[in-house]
Amino acid sequence: MIAVRSSTLSSLQLAAVASAALTLLPLIYIMALAFSADSDVWYRLWTTRVPELLWNTSALAGAVALLALGLGVSTAWIVTRFEFPGRRLWEVALVLPLAMPTYVSAYIFNYLLGFGGPVEQFWQILAGPQARIFSPQSFLGVTVVMALDTFPFIYLLTRNALLNLNVSFEEVARTCGASLLRRIFAVTLPLLRPSIVAGVALVILYVVSDFGAVSLLRYQTLTYAVFQQMTGQLDNQAASILSVLLVVLALLFLITERWFRHKSRFYQTAGRYRAPQRIRCNWFQTVGLTASLAAIVGAAFGVPVVLLIAWSFSPDALATLDARFFDFVWNSALLATLAATAAVLAGLPLAYLASRKPSWLNTGCLQAAYAGYVLPGPVAALAVLVLCLKLVPFFYGTVLVLILAYVLHFLPAGLQSLEPSIQQITPNLEEVARTLGLSARETVRHVTLPLIRNGVIVAWVLIFLQTMKELPATLLLRPVGFDTLAIRVWLEASEEYYQLAAPSALLIVLVGLPALALLISRDWRAA
Amino acid sequence: MDADHSQSRTHRFAQTASILELRSVSCAYDANRPAVCDISFSAREGEILCLLGPSGCGKTTVLRAIAGLEPVQAGQIVLSGQVVSSPLETLPTEARRVGMVFQEYALFPHLRVADNIAFGLRHLPKTERTSRVQDMLRLTGLEGFDHRYPHELSGGQQQRVALARALVQSPVVLLLDEPFSNLDPDMASRMRQEVHALLRQMNTTTIMVTHDHDEAFAMADRIAVLNQGVLEQMDSPEMIYHLPATRFVADFVGQADFIPGQIQRGIVHTELGEFPNTINGSEGDHVAVMIRPDDVHLLPNKSAAPQIVARQFRGSENLYTVQLPSGQIVHSSESSTSVYQEGTSVELRVSATHTVLFQTEHPLAPSDTGRN
Repeated sequence: MIAVRSSTLSSLQLAAVASAALTLLPLIYIMALAFSADSDVWYRLWTTRVPELLWNTSALAGAVALLALGLGVSTAWIVTRFEFPGRRLWEVALVLPLAMPTYVSAYIFNYLLGFGGPVEQFWQILAGPQARIFSPQSFLGVTVVMALDTFPFIYLLTRNALLNLNVSFEEVARTCGASLLRRIFAVTLPLLRPSIVAGVALVILYVVSDFGAVSLLRYQTLTYAVFQQMTGQLDNQAASILSVLLVVLALLFLITERWFRHKSRFYQTAGRYRAPQRIRCNWFQTVGLTASLAAIVGAAFGVPVVLLIAWSFSPDALATLDARFFDFVWNSALLATLAATAAVLAGLPLAYLASRKPSWLNTGCLQAAYAGYVLPGPVAALAVLVLCLKLVPFFYGTVLVLILAYVLHFLPAGLQSLEPSIQQITPNLEEVARTLGLSARETVRHVTLPLIRNGVIVAWVLIFLQTMKELPATLLLRPVGFDTLAIRVWLEASEEYYQLAAPSALLIVLVGLPALALLISRDWRAA
Repeated sequence: MDADHSQSRTHRFAQTASILELRSVSCAYDANRPAVCDISFSAREGEILCLLGPSGCGKTTVLRAIAGLEPVQAGQIVLSGQVVSSPLETLPTEARRVGMVFQEYALFPHLRVADNIAFGLRHLPKTERTSRVQDMLRLTGLEGFDHRYPHELSGGQQQRVALARALVQSPVVLLLDEPFSNLDPDMASRMRQEVHALLRQMNTTTIMVTHDHDEAFAMADRIAVLNQGVLEQMDSPEMIYHLPATRFVADFVGQADFIPGQIQRGIVHTELGEFPNTINGSEGDHVAVMIRPDDVHLLPNKSAAPQIVARQFRGSENLYTVQLPSGQIVHSSESSTSVYQEGTSVELRVSATHTVLFQTEHPLAPSDTGRN
């Protein structure tokens, strides 16, 4: 344990407690607001909206999880167990859909699958002029859009697990006389279960907290309802009640996942590493695999991006590239810079103290900061909003409130790269600096910070890029007339001005690509 | 098979048919650099055969080829009279009835001990399966552990489960890949004895891979020494140690010094005295005589030229490093209680029961002989 001078320690401690309070207070306040509501309000919500919303949300989460599971596991299996020309390319391409914010895919699929859209026209050529396809603004439509956006979570985790899987397990199963099918179902899939479950949990949390797709495709979920209560009904109390339900639902999923992970903590799949033997494909198999991968990546990323580019160069869209457009870009970048800087500054003392002085207070503060993980954007916005109206009403409508909501929302993502980077440095390095005569402050400056620099940069960039595409909190809390790229996309797309939304959407997708590179480089292993 | 235990183990299996035969087997990961080259040997029923060699010598590749996990580039592998591997055809592992214990055991972490052991018994009715598993648990001393998960077992217990899982299906041949290397030394030597007894009791034909010559000596009926993918010698442990076929084998299975000498008038003359010409070398040939530390005895003698340069205390013995006037180094193993100071002049008595000679192209320079 490093002996930090007490004054330094207490100021760090203060910063950590303040960060934790910052994230915990809005959450507590929104709970208080919900539970202080009249039983009438609860009763009215419970009998009218809640059953439908709960059902819609869970059904969507379940359906998306199933579809994403099928897509993610099968694509991971293909790229890790088969060898065919272009395999490495597909390995990377399958991650690209993560760069599509759901509101961008939703608006493109609204066009593609919509009434008289290209898919319907094509279908009518095949099946006759009266033939219809399913509407994008339906359960099936939302499910397809969300699954195409989220399956890479499962793909990434499963691929990683498959690459790290000790092949001895499968080999020993062969020496026990197990057939290929039995090896897959009795050995490989059970061993992959922790990773698959983690991926499904990510997908479910993503679906439950999504606002972009459900709002553009007009599908009622809890998250969308919170937003509508705040904007349409101006009823913050009802919104808080729905928010609490939403948080409970998200927590339920998280706890289930933790329980699964706990159960399989001892899945020692390490050992002597030997790359799995890939099945070499003949040209027939190659064509089949390439076609199916192309269909998936094409639907999730290729076709949307091509459409965005085409629309961006339409005369209507080009006309919007004026000074106002660059204002949106500037606004987005400004907000993202402020949010990333604030979140990293809030996260550093938390992660540092929890790793170096793991007292109950410090680990508690860190856990509190992770609370934002289960807060969907509208809920984070609502929490910050109601607290701000209560305590410092004059800040309402300023950028400050928005930044606070961003920090609350994205701090967990930042901590996920700050924490490991601090844990990776052995305290011995700091201790040896002290024995060499450096003060605590000098040690932090000359030893700790240089060593965690990469983790800090990654955290900053991740938060920056996520803020760039954040939609619901921005929509709810932005100062009047302060539009960002994401807002423009959503507003234009809501009015079905597909071409006008395209330049902003394309820019958001392009900006999302480096974030993707950062995310996957953390656990990417070329094999 | 009714092996006659009174016979020496070298001859135990002379009459029985071979269960496993490798005929000029070559395997390669890439075509230019074969991992294993032209290996031939056979194992008879109930025999424990050890593949010994340094890491990267190809011994694990041979094992994996026998299991069918590695294709062969040339040659054939015959199991119970059936060709299972050839360049044209490879019978899949799951159809071979081989049992295998991996170095890290590879116990299925999601299955209990009993289910791990029963994994290969799916074709049997449930009652038979249970009774076989119980038999195996008893044989391996794992009674009462059947409901544990692998992570709840110690290293030794994990190994027993891996062994039980492989043996319960009565494999034609059992393959052990460095089975004791993950255990601490005390545990390893206990497990060696237990496993040896169990394999004898079940009369299981076993191929074991190791880099540890002590382990090979303790377990094997015969040892095959591999070096860089080539089979250097295949013999009983005693023959391997006392009459190594090549310098590599001599060096690998224990401490050895190589004393340069020359054949004159049918006798090998060296700095340590004269030795019989056991390799029919011709007059004037340069040879090296292999000397093991236990063949050399020290007598302190102030007028002698050789000097002790180092002593290494090993508990049951003292290993002395002695320098001859020419600079040649010889090692000698003395009893634990004979302690001489460094720098003591000593006289050397060589009493080798077997003389092992190797041809050398040139007279050996003292510097590149011997091993420290």
